[in-house]
Amino acid sequence: MAARIRYIEAVRQGLQSSMRSDPSVIVLGEDVRYGGPFGATKGLADEFGKGRILDTPISEATVMGMATGAAATGLRPIVEIMFVDFATLAMDQLVNHAAKLGFMTGGLLRVPLTVRVQGGVSGRFGAHHSQSLEAWFLHTPGLKVVAPAFPGDAARLLEVAIADDNPVVYMEHRGLYWTKGEVTGNEPASGSVVRRRGDHVTIVSYSRMVHHALAAADTLAADGIGCEVIDLRWLAPLDLEPAVASLRRTGRAVVAHEAVTTGGVGAEVVARLQAARGIRTRAPIARVGAPFAPVGAAPELEDAFVPGSGDIVGAVRGLLGEAPPRTDGQKGGRT
Amino acid sequence: MTRTRPLTDLEILARMWLIRAFEEKVSELYAAGKVAGLIHLGIGQEGSAVGTCAALGRSDYVFGTHRSHAHAIAKGADLRRLMAEIAGRSTGYCKGKGGSMHISAPEVGFVTATGVVAGNIPLALGAALTSVTRNEDRVSVAFFGDGAGQSGPFHESLNMAALWKLPVVLVCENNGYVEFSPLSAHTVVERLADYASVYSIPAVTVDGGDVLAVRDAVTEAVDRARGGGGPSFVEVLTHRLRGHYEGDPARYRTLSEREEWKRKDPVARFARHLAESGVPPESLDDVEAAARTRVAVAAEQALADPPADPAGVTGDVYV
Amino acid sequence: MIPDLPADRLTDYLRRMLVIRRFEEGLIELAGEYAVGHFHVYIGQEATGVPALAQLEPGDVGFTTHRNHGHLLARGTDPAAMFAEILGKETGTNRGKGGTLHIASLENGFPTTSAATGGCTPLATGAAFAFSRLGRDRVSVCLFGDGALEEGTFHESINIAALESLPVIYLCENNSLEALGQKANEYPSSTMAAAPLTDLAAAFKVPTITVDGTDTGAVHDAMATAVGRARGGGGPTFIEALTVRWPGSRPIWPQLLTGPTDLSYAWDPSAIPADYAVWHAEQDGLLRYVRELLSAGVLTPDEALAMDEQVKDRIERGVRFALDSPYPPVASALESVYA
Repeated sequence: MAARIRYIEAVRQGLQSSMRSDPSVIVLGEDVRYGGPFGATKGLADEFGKGRILDTPISEATVMGMATGAAATGLRPIVEIMFVDFATLAMDQLVNHAAKLGFMTGGLLRVPLTVRVQGGVSGRFGAHHSQSLEAWFLHTPGLKVVAPAFPGDAARLLEVAIADDNPVVYMEHRGLYWTKGEVTGNEPASGSVVRRRGDHVTIVSYSRMVHHALAAADTLAADGIGCEVIDLRWLAPLDLEPAVASLRRTGRAVVAHEAVTTGGVGAEVVARLQAARGIRTRAPIARVGAPFAPVGAAPELEDAFVPGSGDIVGAVRGLLGEAPPRTDGQKGGRT
Repeated sequence: MTRTRPLTDLEILARMWLIRAFEEKVSELYAAGKVAGLIHLGIGQEGSAVGTCAALGRSDYVFGTHRSHAHAIAKGADLRRLMAEIAGRSTGYCKGKGGSMHISAPEVGFVTATGVVAGNIPLALGAALTSVTRNEDRVSVAFFGDGAGQSGPFHESLNMAALWKLPVVLVCENNGYVEFSPLSAHTVVERLADYASVYSIPAVTVDGGDVLAVRDAVTEAVDRARGGGGPSFVEVLTHRLRGHYEGDPARYRTLSEREEWKRKDPVARFARHLAESGVPPESLDDVEAAARTRVAVAAEQALADPPADPAGVTGDVYV
Repeated sequence: MIPDLPADRLTDYLRRMLVIRRFEEGLIELAGEYAVGHFHVYIGQEATGVPALAQLEPGDVGFTTHRNHGHLLARGTDPAAMFAEILGKETGTNRGKGGTLHIASLENGFPTTSAATGGCTPLATGAAFAFSRLGRDRVSVCLFGDGALEEGTFHESINIAALESLPVIYLCENNSLEALGQKANEYPSSTMAAAPLTDLAAAFKVPTITVDGTDTGAVHDAMATAVGRARGGGGPTFIEALTVRWPGSRPIWPQLLTGPTDLSYAWDPSAIPADYAVWHAEQDGLLRYVRELLSAGVLTPDEALAMDEQVKDRIERGVRFALDSPYPPVASALESVYA
């Protein structure tokens, strides 16, 4: 049986194995030699040397640009942005250069760049250190986006992201760092996966919300409601085949993520599910996400903001006619 | 690295004429409606482009700007593919996907150009990092204008290039105008080279009308970079003889200023210099004529090429 | 040295420094028991923040960074409301929405704290721009650490401030002096090729002043010069205040490594413990200021201790207030998203 390790250790493992197998892989980020605030790069400078683990100034725009330039000329850089909230400072380089260079040169250049970000609500960190900005990246042609929920995927998909010849934004959830799971190395490299089988409602999710979806499914199972839980894993490219297959059977779906509902990944998923061949829903597909607000720092406000398993349970019950479903883009299941 | 044979004086003049003829052809085609888009010409800045690239080998990296036809030609890009790109043809360097502002000719070391002011400077640092990491002796050059000096990534890049001793040469083409405003409307700083000294980066300001002075300044910088001495900053004082883009009447410039810079025209000035040093006038005329012929042929071929294929609209988004 | 000010102003400066010190010490103890978000303390920089900010006038503004508590307290923000904010209570300065990283107190001239390194430089420059355009005789103070100079926004901001002669003061608190002597598992400090840091501002032809950040009088004078220049239409100034980072701020989570400050260290060197003796004897700007006040005859040890007791009492009441305060109503999570 494979060892159970923490998510953050799995990230480190993914970095380590990629760096061992490919000498062109380098890491750039703030305090990465020290290990970063969460220890993702701890020990890597000892193994790979300072020439491959590069401490940068707090200059996100330039660091992202440098990594893009290095990627276009033969290296395979990994940029660590300490909090996804600060990726905003690097968006010009990421969106205008990394994402587009391949296209704009008609394929002359490729940008094998991996951008590691961590985010999400965890620890009462306030509105500059708690965001889920995946929809920003998803909206940019040329970027791939991956958001693993389990240590096995964290390690495996990081290796896949690093080996990819396209720029990949690899999104970690801080709230998952200390969760444990198996790392087998056999996790599928692409596509979404079914985490739990069920016949009544399909729940589509990714990142930490998958854990909430599984908890919700447990709760609902006690009442005889069977939920099928799909873990998207990759947001770009988005693989909805398992979700479509499931929805054909169940006729009901909830799309759940931690990011703000409005303009979120869920909107894209719902639109594609509705348009998929052979779909006849018995109720409008429901969305669960954060309300349209920045997160408050106070424990009470953070808890009120962040969606969880209770919200998913409420949305599922709503679909089954136990309460009117919320389809107005607000956080589901709460009033 | 394979050292490239240094260009002779006549070859330098030929490159300058190629750029001048190419840019004039683009201007003509734009006026005739045969080339579309937002076109920024380098007429008047040939001394900077050719002087810089004359100091480089083929495998050295160059990163350009929105005004980079000249840089690509100076680095040796193919005229037909370049014109085809600007004209949106499928045979263009980037299959028409880049256009005038996003030229790429990696086979001659012209990696890419950007429409974002100062956006290419971090990219050039990245290529220099590649060179260091792979233990190659390629040098990376970023061209940028004086407008970049007010942009954050410019300053971040100076710091990082100095901190990591990257083999990069930062070539600032200071033409005195930031789009439609004089530099003095954007900053109290007159010489962008002053910023470099803050980070202990060797810096020099040269007359962009003197192509050999530019070449010599950049050669010193390139030698320093190859020798492990880190970055250098070369500020080239230059002037664009056209507006900010084709169609810009450039009313913000005074007549006397225009006249002065026409006298300083780097192409004519270098031709005069060669004539004075004994090159027969007819050989100089031949150089210009040959350049114009090459450009005319390249343009004719490029325009006869098929337009970019609409089926490619979503191609190359991912590898 | 002590500032050239009347005795009551001098003791007022000390009181403000003590408020900061006891606040931060109290917070570190509180954090052990009650989870608060990640926070940064101002211990060791009181002799910069107080003389720099207490001399500002109502209507002047400051924009601060993640190490913000001292700045807000220096201008008189209520410690009770700040504790409440840090604990996420309804009675907090931001009604619990900001937390330690985003404390704001408009009435005390702090529109916001930006937790993004360098995030406050454009904001402070913008406030100065508004003052300039509105013809208001006000100054804007931008407070940041040496790391903010690595962000491009600093350079973009100071360029515009110089160009427009804006009434803004860039006060860089460089607490990285001991960076070279760091041990493993401590955060490295800034990553900057320019030295001295004042060269970065001088490149934009902005006047600069370098000052010992533990010297209350020197900071007071430097700031007075800068404020005078700004109010007189002379444009921006860049001040670099040099301090040694307090040992307790080296770990990621602040720890009271040097113990609660004992004011008697200022007049009784034999009381200074062997651990961190150099800190207490030479590097702590607060203790230095107490020594200077004593030797100038402005204050007696007993008066200092009495003042300290009052401050401690105020801080204790502030902690109790915060702990007793209610959390904000859940519905407020969705309020104030738009004006």
